[in-house]
Amino acid sequence: MKDRLSELMDGELDDKSAAEVIDALVGRERDALETWRTYQLISDAMRQSRVLSSGFTARVSARLASEPTVLAPRALQAAPRRWAALSAAASLAAVALVGWLAFAPPPPAPAPVAQVPQVQPELKPTLVPLPSAANDYLLAHQGFSPRISLQGMAPYVRTVAEQTVEPRK
Amino acid sequence: MQRFLAFALVLVPLAAHAQTPEALGWLRKMHDATQKLSYSGTFVYQNGGRSETSRITRYAEADIERLEVLDGVPREIIRTRDTVRCYLPGQRVVKVERRAGERAFPGLLPERITALARHYDIGLGETRRIAGLECQTVALTPRDDVRYGYKLCADTHSGMLLNAVTVDAAGAQVEQFMFTQLAIGGVTRDMVKPRHASAGWRIEDAAAAPARLAGWGLSSELPGFQKIIELKRRLGDSRSAGQVVYSDGLAAVSVFIESLEGRSDRVRTGLASMGAIHIYTREVANHVVTVVGEAPAASVQRIANAVEYRRPQQ
Repeated sequence: MKDRLSELMDGELDDKSAAEVIDALVGRERDALETWRTYQLISDAMRQSRVLSSGFTARVSARLASEPTVLAPRALQAAPRRWAALSAAASLAAVALVGWLAFAPPPPAPAPVAQVPQVQPELKPTLVPLPSAANDYLLAHQGFSPRISLQGMAPYVRTVAEQTVEPRK
Repeated sequence: MQRFLAFALVLVPLAAHAQTPEALGWLRKMHDATQKLSYSGTFVYQNGGRSETSRITRYAEADIERLEVLDGVPREIIRTRDTVRCYLPGQRVVKVERRAGERAFPGLLPERITALARHYDIGLGETRRIAGLECQTVALTPRDDVRYGYKLCADTHSGMLLNAVTVDAAGAQVEQFMFTQLAIGGVTRDMVKPRHASAGWRIEDAAAAPARLAGWGLSSELPGFQKIIELKRRLGDSRSAGQVVYSDGLAAVSVFIESLEGRSDRVRTGLASMGAIHIYTREVANHVVTVVGEAPAASVQRIANAVEYRRPQQ
């Protein structure tokens, strides 16, 4: 049955065989239906189709049930579907892949965003010219620098040198 | 012989970083020379592409020191035992800082020199010749990245610091002071008198006094930097401000706190740099906080960002 389901998906069955398999599906043979869904999932996974929301099938079924039966269905498309046929082996490998994806641990959560602002301003300060009162600050600060006792007042030139400096940047 | 060479090769780099009593001895020698000697000399201050020549004179008998900038706008600073006066002839202003209590000019006490070893590897370096004098280098290599390193070269005879280079973590020079000429002794009182007759100039007195700045503090301190003084003062013409100074024994960082009320000029927040000095400005609780220090920009910024105000408990 599985082989035939695979062939049906690939559009490789003739009308008669297709009708038999579809009958089996419509007849709700549990195994057949389950296999069909799995194959569709594999097919979606390999073509990276959008994953539909859960319960999609049930909702579509309900809508279908509420709609009138179409008496003149379009003829089945005879041409094979374009995407490559899945061999049984490929299917198996794909099932393994899907299973692995399903059981793989979720990707790690991104680092908490709240930590970022604490670090960023220290890395990239805004560069500004020396404050207009820089001389006042420097004069007030210099007197407390322990370096004064190693080299006398020399560091005080930093206090007053600023006057000649044009704002940089 | 080969074995000895291998041993020596291993030993040399170790010795370069070892804490040697000789190196600490040289720091004491520099300290004592600065406190005890009379001298006069010319030195160059260099940061980035800029250099400036100044003349420094110390009259030991009365403990008066005079600094005169020879390039550019004339400026003069005179320090006595309890006062620093900065004469700005262009503006006809004298800025006055008075000694505020015993700890106003704490400096580096001789007993604190040993404590420096907690933050710096202190070792002897090469001997060189500067301003015609032989000098011994003492290298202070920081043990972390929150402070600069220093290469200090002292006259082997007098102990006077002839060359002080500040280096960053990559070993690049940030700024330096270097004597081009130095004479020990032969200083008279006249040589330390102000050149400018400042009668009629505006006097800006800092009126600094130790005080507690209620509610202000740091949420986290910079490793090794301890609070050395907290005071209220005036800045410039009339602005009143709080000042808190932190130091690791060699480098110092000041935090200035001024109210934004009634302030007309726009505050530009961010980082400004001048040689080894960085100034970081930000606003906290309707006050402008200005952190000034001879420490790497990231350290100055770190202190600035740690400044917080908590309403004092009634």
